[in-house]
Amino acid sequence: MKRLLIGVLALVAMMGVARAETLRILMETVPDTEQVKSLLSEFKAATGYDVEIEAISYIDMHTKLVPQLIAPTGAYDIIIVDFYWVAEFTKAGWLLPLDEFAQRDGVDLGRYVPKVMATTGQVDGVTYMLPFYNYVMGLVYRKDLLEDPAEQAAFKEKYGIELGVPKTWDEFKKQMEFFTRDTDGDGQNDFFGTVTQAQRGDCIMMQSSNFLYGNGGRYYDENWNPLLNTPEAVQGLADFADATLKYSAPGSEGFCFDEATAVMTQGKAYSIITFNNLYATINNPETSAAGGKVGITGVPGGGLMGSWGWGIPKSSPNKDGAWAFINWVESFDIAKRRAIMGNAMTQTALFTDVDVVAARPEAPSLEPLVAEANAFPVFTYTVEFVEAVGREFNLAASGQKDPKEAAEAAQEAFADLLRKDGLIE
Amino acid sequence: MAAGALARRDQRFGLLLTAPGLAALLLVVLFPLGFAVFTSLFDYTLVHPNHDTFVGFDKYVEAWNADYLPDALWTTVKFVVASVVIEFVIGFSVALALNRVTRFKNVYYIILLAPLLMNPVVVAQLWRMILHSELGIMNYVLGMIGIGKINFLGDPVAAFWTVVLVDIWHQVSFMAILLLAGLAALPREPYEAARMDGASAVQTFVHITLPLMRPVIAVALLLRLIFAIKTFDIVFIMTKGGPGTATDLISYFIYRSAFFGLDVGRASAMSVALLLIVLALTIYLYRYMKSLA
Repeated sequence: MKRLLIGVLALVAMMGVARAETLRILMETVPDTEQVKSLLSEFKAATGYDVEIEAISYIDMHTKLVPQLIAPTGAYDIIIVDFYWVAEFTKAGWLLPLDEFAQRDGVDLGRYVPKVMATTGQVDGVTYMLPFYNYVMGLVYRKDLLEDPAEQAAFKEKYGIELGVPKTWDEFKKQMEFFTRDTDGDGQNDFFGTVTQAQRGDCIMMQSSNFLYGNGGRYYDENWNPLLNTPEAVQGLADFADATLKYSAPGSEGFCFDEATAVMTQGKAYSIITFNNLYATINNPETSAAGGKVGITGVPGGGLMGSWGWGIPKSSPNKDGAWAFINWVESFDIAKRRAIMGNAMTQTALFTDVDVVAARPEAPSLEPLVAEANAFPVFTYTVEFVEAVGREFNLAASGQKDPKEAAEAAQEAFADLLRKDGLIE
Repeated sequence: MAAGALARRDQRFGLLLTAPGLAALLLVVLFPLGFAVFTSLFDYTLVHPNHDTFVGFDKYVEAWNADYLPDALWTTVKFVVASVVIEFVIGFSVALALNRVTRFKNVYYIILLAPLLMNPVVVAQLWRMILHSELGIMNYVLGMIGIGKINFLGDPVAAFWTVVLVDIWHQVSFMAILLLAGLAALPREPYEAARMDGASAVQTFVHITLPLMRPVIAVALLLRLIFAIKTFDIVFIMTKGGPGTATDLISYFIYRSAFFGLDVGRASAMSVALLLIVLALTIYLYRYMKSLA
């Protein structure tokens, strides 16, 4: 009996030791996570740490993270932080500042694209994260249609301007209308000028932001005064509602990016404003009917800035091991190999790196997209903002509310949350 | 030993045996419940997760005044009534049909139980793909038989009924199995007497089956009612409460208050209020069942 007890205790102790050498990370089920997974054996060889990645879908991440961040000792050594959550997580004091680690190991924080670093890197001069990947939104369009002489002639005849990669918002609106058509003569449109993702919440907020910027609108001014009921913002929402109800596939009112992308990859739409890291999927002839036929450009007015960062929660059981991993995964060599695999880059030098460009010829064209992207409101209640304003935008996009009325309600909801956060009086 | 003393010893022994179970029950049921009630009286947020600001019933008032709460409550009422009533009608019909079946009964059971065994998240994802307006198989089939495309999740009315129908697809077998168990346990004698008296099938159903099944029906309706009020997964995956507020059920509303609004105090107040409503319904139905017995 005594031997059995000693044996069990020894086993438990060994399990404890083994546990301490395993780093746990909560990540999203996206290609960028798979790229990291494929390199983990090298980290193990270099440091001796095992890494266990728990990949779940985005919609479950915030809910799963928060209880772990509140706990004195959480389940995750490392987390990835969406820019939505940055203000919430830092204000709540859940993230460990990384400046000391970075200085100790001579990490050059200037290697990141400044806007990405400002989004998921530093808050008030303190480094809480190292940027992992960006998801700036760009305009993916069918270049085969733009180059078609018959389309060019018809477009010129109808609008009096040349058909080409859209440089202005008005040009893009005309193209959305022009390409929406009934190709089989059954009285219903079956090819669409664009595909919107108007599902309530995060999906609609991501894409409709580009319509706001395209019309010259902004979410807030330099003093955090909300600007959602300005003429530009109302026009942006009206354009988004038009795009959803007239120029996009039926059902777009309930689409998120996966369903919207599917319409594009089935070759049923001329354009989609989407995350630049989905471009490779849409342009892959093996998986997409639009493969090899699309190009990507900046959204007129600038696309939405989005990015993820690596962070260490204060509840991390192994902070040194966590930093060792982040320092390794963001080292230039590893970041470059991830970029070659398709990672949406965050380090400036990678966009023009010879090896990266050889593997991904579109890489240089992605840099201005990231550099010129527009910021989304990031404050303590961003998640609630997305929900409240997203509901109003969805009501407009599904034809249940007049865009002006929805914009006024969104303005009020935004102002309430800014007041709650102490940003305005 | 006197009979009274023996009974007391038995009672003590019984208490001893049930004590661990009762303690576990207290821990896993009453503690979270008590915590929710306690938290609902404080300004407890995820940004400041402390019980240091007592606010009394302010969170209840705040919850009651929350934007779009009446919409969520009304949508929940419509959803519960529609799904429970339709599930009952289909479930009872299936149960009556299966009660007479003698061959391949197990095969029918397996088919019937398959949706119920599936995770609700899987069910919702599956239907989301099937009902994709442009690329889903449902609209493709409807197109083949000459019916135009239906905007299942984009149109507010269609989205509400889509969520109801998916819930029915998932849960109807629960109702059917429960009612089938009740039918199988009914005594044979009243039916034989009715047959001797020349009662028709409809008369037998109305005057014998329905009265005898009342307690089982009450239990089935009560359970489904409670489950339907708590419906969350299908809406969370399929619609996020949209388009607009067309499928915004109260459980999802409360969830958003806690995890999007970060206001656990307000979400707890909503949960406690919902619990009281469900409790009141349960007590009413329990009393009704007892009156039938």
